[in-house]
Amino acid sequence: MDPVPRTAEGGGFDPGQAAALLDRATCQARRQFTPLTPALFAFRAVAALVVFGGLWLSVRGQHPYTGHISGWAIAVAGVLVVINIGWTAWAIGRAGTGVSGPAQRKWHAWLGVMTAAWIIGYAITAPLYHGGVSHPVWGLYPASAPLLIIGLAGAAAAAAFRYWPLAGTALGIAVAAAAAGFGGPAGSWLITGIGLCAVCLGIAAFTAGRQRRGMVRP
Amino acid sequence: MTTELDPLIHVPTRLKIVATLAALPGGDALSFTRLQDMLALTPGNLIIQLRKLEQAGYIASTKTGNGSARKTTVALTGKGRAALGAYTQALRDLLGGLDTGATSPGNTVDETGEDTEPKRRAEIATQAGITLAP
Repeated sequence: MDPVPRTAEGGGFDPGQAAALLDRATCQARRQFTPLTPALFAFRAVAALVVFGGLWLSVRGQHPYTGHISGWAIAVAGVLVVINIGWTAWAIGRAGTGVSGPAQRKWHAWLGVMTAAWIIGYAITAPLYHGGVSHPVWGLYPASAPLLIIGLAGAAAAAAFRYWPLAGTALGIAVAAAAAGFGGPAGSWLITGIGLCAVCLGIAAFTAGRQRRGMVRP
Repeated sequence: MTTELDPLIHVPTRLKIVATLAALPGGDALSFTRLQDMLALTPGNLIIQLRKLEQAGYIASTKTGNGSARKTTVALTGKGRAALGAYTQALRDLLGGLDTGATSPGNTVDETGEDTEPKRRAEIATQAGITLAP
């Protein structure tokens, strides 16, 4: 029995071509439907290194430690954070255009949880600053505590939603933030930057590998 | 072993449609306009192909709204996902037969001492509709 259909529509379409087309269409669709692109994670890796490295450079020579951050480090951080937020919003919008259903609703719920975690994580640093905590605390706390909170909350939420790669990413952020706590007021910025960079590069490589995997030829 | 290719899916345009919808999580639907943009098809061509897939129960379409706000979404059904799985497996079997043949020389010598592997590969290729390079 001939396993290849001989229809007018499928004429000349051999299995090799079909396999190549199926793999290509699958990879293209995956790339278009995912908001978490490898390029975005690669940008975040560089941004984390530049932002936290800049903060570290601006406080590392302070004796005694004052926690004063230079204006240029704040400006660079501000620009990169704005670009990251803009790129992320654009990527989420592009991926979700025209898509509806239960998985899409679940994804929106996850985004809500993560937005709340980011706001709460950094909002609680304001009362500390207002309360006049000592400089070493002010150096250690903002560099590690918000990301520890965000990482743990994100990992728990992602596990509940069964987003395993995101759970791993969030846990990686929490581990990097926890490790930064041992780096001292100035060193914690650098450790956080290196840790976030490594986590973002890891998830970028993982996402790129998963998007390239075909259905017929893995 | 499944080696028959589903004739309904084994058409380039419909294969692209099914592969694109299969990339969405189960239960999620895609708007007609987004699907059309992604595949760069004319509305008429897309409608014809979607109708054939819907008649087979491989996709389900839903229409919402009225007038200019009217929106059509399409989703791959469980039957469609299963059909694509079977189609993919059939492709693997067909192409795997060729790959295996190409990587196992020396095991197919018959009692006369002649290597029957080229003949076996040619037979599989003929079945699969592939022209092998000499």
